[in-house]
Amino acid sequence: MRRLEGWFGLAAAIFLVVGLYMALVSSPPDYYQGETVRIMYIHVPFAQTSLLAYLVLFLGSLWYLWKKDPVVDNLSHAAAGVGVFFTVGELLTGSIWGKPAWNTWWTWDARLTSAFVLLLILVAYLMLRMFMDDQEKEARYAAILAIIGFVDLPIVYFSVEWWRTLHQPLSVSQRGLAISQELLIPLIIMSVGFYLLFTYMIMIRTRMLYLEHLLEAKKGRLLSQAHL
Amino acid sequence: MRRAMTFFYIRWGAVLLVTLIIAFLGFQRYQKDVAGLTPDQLLQNPSQDKVRVIGIIQGGSLIKTDDKNRAFFLLQGEDKTLPVQYHGQDTDTLRDLKVVVITGRFYAGTGEFEGEAVSLIPNYGFVAAAYILGIIPALIFLFLMERKLRLLYMEVKEARLYEPEVMDFDKE
Repeated sequence: MRRLEGWFGLAAAIFLVVGLYMALVSSPPDYYQGETVRIMYIHVPFAQTSLLAYLVLFLGSLWYLWKKDPVVDNLSHAAAGVGVFFTVGELLTGSIWGKPAWNTWWTWDARLTSAFVLLLILVAYLMLRMFMDDQEKEARYAAILAIIGFVDLPIVYFSVEWWRTLHQPLSVSQRGLAISQELLIPLIIMSVGFYLLFTYMIMIRTRMLYLEHLLEAKKGRLLSQAHL
Repeated sequence: MRRAMTFFYIRWGAVLLVTLIIAFLGFQRYQKDVAGLTPDQLLQNPSQDKVRVIGIIQGGSLIKTDDKNRAFFLLQGEDKTLPVQYHGQDTDTLRDLKVVVITGRFYAGTGEFEGEAVSLIPNYGFVAAAYILGIIPALIFLFLMERKLRLLYMEVKEARLYEPEVMDFDKE
């Protein structure tokens, strides 16, 4: 498992180095947006990975409620923590892109609002996990919260199609490709790099949670031996 | 274990180095293909080379001719204005009071700038901000997670978790 983790880390590094080089150095500026289009190569992968993190959290939560597997619970917990990081990244880079593109840092547009709600759900999930004493109850309630919160995921994804928003519509949809190949290739490379980075991060975080539980268990055993 | 930590720091040193190289290449590309002079800078240090000049098209100065590829306007800087004879594509995008980047050559004899291409203002500050705010926290986050994981391993190993513990009060 640890060796596999290392390969994911290495692959993420390679994809991100190549992707960053293409995004910042070799890809051309956009006809309409000029140089600011380069923000897309970091904003879109952040957004996609944020959705992927929530999807992992949702599936992990379903699995946990069904099988009560603590390893899957650790994985869900890890996906939520890492998901917060990617969602914050999505909102920050989107805000920076919004200023030159829309002349505003923030607007209560359907896509932006639903992404912000996703962040709040993830933070609520982590807070729930932080403040409960009974670990089994904590895991169960957190899984239920994650499953309820999943309602927001299709809203985030399809908001640009369902409502008339300031945010641009999907670039890749049933209507076909709305992006030129010169811009699409660096975007795909960066996206793959972000997926691999996400996988690497949740592998590390899952192991961290496992070790933390081991240490907690040990401390608990010592306390029980002390007959306090 | 100390060796593992040394290897960990070396690996992260390499990551930092590669990140700095990409940042340097990005900056070089910015200097070469994106950054531009203001009309004031060009008029103070006239150059024969092809340059990009960033300025505002002075209100009322834009004259378009029947030839769709030609236009004349004054490009306004902070204190000085630069007369521009534009001969190139996209003259439709030229408007009074618009901030533009004109690529071309300055001819000191005529005092005019002959533009051949027009492009949008680079807004590179926003691009740099987005990448700095995206990549640096990601690296810090990952570094701290990996470091914490290694420290946890050390703690678990030192705690000899799977061995029966002998407590001080057991010995008494």
